Amino acid sequence: MTIDPKDMAGLEPSLARGLTQRRLSRRDMLKIGGVSVGALSLSQILAACSSGSSAGGNSSSAPAVDFDPSTAGTTLNFSNWPLYMDKSHGDYPSLDKFKQETGITVTYNDEINGNDSFFGKLLPQLQAGQDTGRDIIVITNGEYLTALIDNGWATELDTSRRPNFDKYAASWAKSPAYDPDNKHTMAWQSGLTGLGYNTEMVLQTPTKLDDMMSTDFFPPKSVGVLKEDAPNLVMINLGIDPISSTQDDWNQAADWLSQLRDSPTFYGAYDQGYVDDLNAGNLAGTMAWSGDILYNAIWAGHPYEFIVPEGGSLLWIDNMLIPAHSANPAGALELMDFYYDPVNAQLLTEYVLYMSPVPAVQKGIAEHAKQESGKYAEQLAATAESPMLWPDEALLSRVSLGRPIETQEESDAWHSTFDTIWEQ
Amino acid sequence: MSQATADVPGLAPDDIDRPPARQGERALARRRRGAAYGMLGPGGIYLILFFVVPLIIIVQTSLSSSDLFAGGGRLQFDWNWSNYHTAITGYWEYYLRSIMYAGIATVLCIGLAYPMAYWIAFYGGRWKATLFMLILVPFFVSFVIRTVQWNFILGTNGLLLTPLKSWHILPQDFVVLKTPGAVIAGITYNFMPFAALPLYVALERIDRGLVEAAKDLYSSPSVAFRKVVLPLSYPGIFAAVILTFVPATGDYVNAQVLGGTGTTMIGQIIQTFFLVRHNYAVAAAMSVVLMLGMLVLAILYARALGTEDSTLAAGAGG
Repeated sequence: MTIDPKDMAGLEPSLARGLTQRRLSRRDMLKIGGVSVGALSLSQILAACSSGSSAGGNSSSAPAVDFDPSTAGTTLNFSNWPLYMDKSHGDYPSLDKFKQETGITVTYNDEINGNDSFFGKLLPQLQAGQDTGRDIIVITNGEYLTALIDNGWATELDTSRRPNFDKYAASWAKSPAYDPDNKHTMAWQSGLTGLGYNTEMVLQTPTKLDDMMSTDFFPPKSVGVLKEDAPNLVMINLGIDPISSTQDDWNQAADWLSQLRDSPTFYGAYDQGYVDDLNAGNLAGTMAWSGDILYNAIWAGHPYEFIVPEGGSLLWIDNMLIPAHSANPAGALELMDFYYDPVNAQLLTEYVLYMSPVPAVQKGIAEHAKQESGKYAEQLAATAESPMLWPDEALLSRVSLGRPIETQEESDAWHSTFDTIWEQ
Repeated sequence: MSQATADVPGLAPDDIDRPPARQGERALARRRRGAAYGMLGPGGIYLILFFVVPLIIIVQTSLSSSDLFAGGGRLQFDWNWSNYHTAITGYWEYYLRSIMYAGIATVLCIGLAYPMAYWIAFYGGRWKATLFMLILVPFFVSFVIRTVQWNFILGTNGLLLTPLKSWHILPQDFVVLKTPGAVIAGITYNFMPFAALPLYVALERIDRGLVEAAKDLYSSPSVAFRKVVLPLSYPGIFAAVILTFVPATGDYVNAQVLGGTGTTMIGQIIQTFFLVRHNYAVAAAMSVVLMLGMLVLAILYARALGTEDSTLAAGAGG
């Protein structure tokens, strides 16, 4: 439909793309402006607001994307969650290494604070078929990832151009149920949602999720809940398989959560930010993400412990993907595969302390620990040995992914079951 | 008016009644009308662009349906009245709670601001401006930052409660945050200047001579206040109530930051529907319901308590 940038020989690839691809939305602006001042036909206003809707639609027939590294642009915008990238003195060592190897400068932005809110931020541009200004984003498996893939808003990857992924990726990272054959996504890190607690504040060592409600274990008003993960974690601990769960199962989990909410130990429900309250001493225990607790225990020296409750834990996978109409998909795929090289993946894991999709990293960290000495060596050794980073089969048999949400009806039913618990 | 005539070159106001100028008079009247409409122009266009058009879009959105998975969440206008059903039957208690919180906060705001504004207006002397600035100074800091700071001050182990608990003035499990009291206090604190300003303006313009006259007629200070000062400050109270109550009802920052699970206000629900569930249609329906509810309450309030003067003053104060 347009001139292929490749054919414009001799031109800087990014410039060629800029010249050939639809980027400016001035016509859309004029449409909106003109309509508002003039005729005020409602359908026209709405049409202008959702301009390009006919182009996107439900079909994933986006124009073929060129992943040839020679067409990669020189800059890349990477949006990620906070504390999710190795950092040293304000620099990102692994991203610097990537620049040395490829010449691509990465603008790293830790702007994602929730799957829902970040999805909402990109939604207008995605609906309009425009570049979101981001080349890689990291989204957790779940309804928003499903919506991105179903609507054709996650660029289909060239699966032949990721040698490190093919060679080093963990079995759990390959062909997950929500993205068969990793056509659109590659895991960034993964982790568990379980129970984190402050060993100096608990009255007894908790082992079950039910202990959260008991004043024998926790002082009054000192227990926190992770709103988004709670339904699945509770179902797992009620012995329900979340993946095949039905409305009846959801109601059971909702009852359990209402009971926790009304119990004397309950303090608050969180989207994020529970770590601040844990560090401030407002929480003695909380549903927590493994890496957060490990990071604060191993690197910050807090008296925290993370456990998989007796009933089991929720496993989640954060996935890298390229939003539709990205300006540099070839560079983005290069970066995604770069982090599957065990050396680079190790830089990341030593800092973030989540489950790496590259199992070879464990050996690398253990060897690194031997080369170092003193406290640093101890910390690295603890990282290399933590069962939460390198779960064995026994642990993996006690974890499950959450309930897939794939239709509007399911989403409405799920949210009206669980959101209202916290909106009382 | 004087501006309009001044715009016409060579015509002084006394020229208008002269018979020979009949032709010119009609032209002048036309031009005057034109000028008047002209002055409405910029504000009118602004209102159409940034109030009427968005309002129409919201109403249309509230009657649309969307599917995030099958249709990319795009809105289809199809007279989907069920959004209003969801917005009202599922969430009516949150509207009521918001109105209750905002109502209590409004009463508190006026209770706190009235004596302050009264004292400054009557006894502030040459310090009036300075004193009034002192009320406003904290509000030069961003709304959200001020609210979040209260989190630190009122936290379970925060600046205020830790010493009070260690001195055994308060029980160990005493909390302020996440209670309705914290939310109402936050709203009161954040909206107080909106009550103080119109009250001060109304009190400031009261003719002291009237109070003197009341006293000359043997009224006690309290009767003079009740029969003279208070009625003359009604316009200020009216404006203060509107300016505090209406935005406080839709507020969600205070409930979000200071509140907990039992204190959700309708603003938070609307925000959740917009930003978390991406269900713009129901969120728009809730906004319309809230807007209409506020409008009805404001009209009833104006009917019951407002005078013509107070309506004008409310306009001026706003």
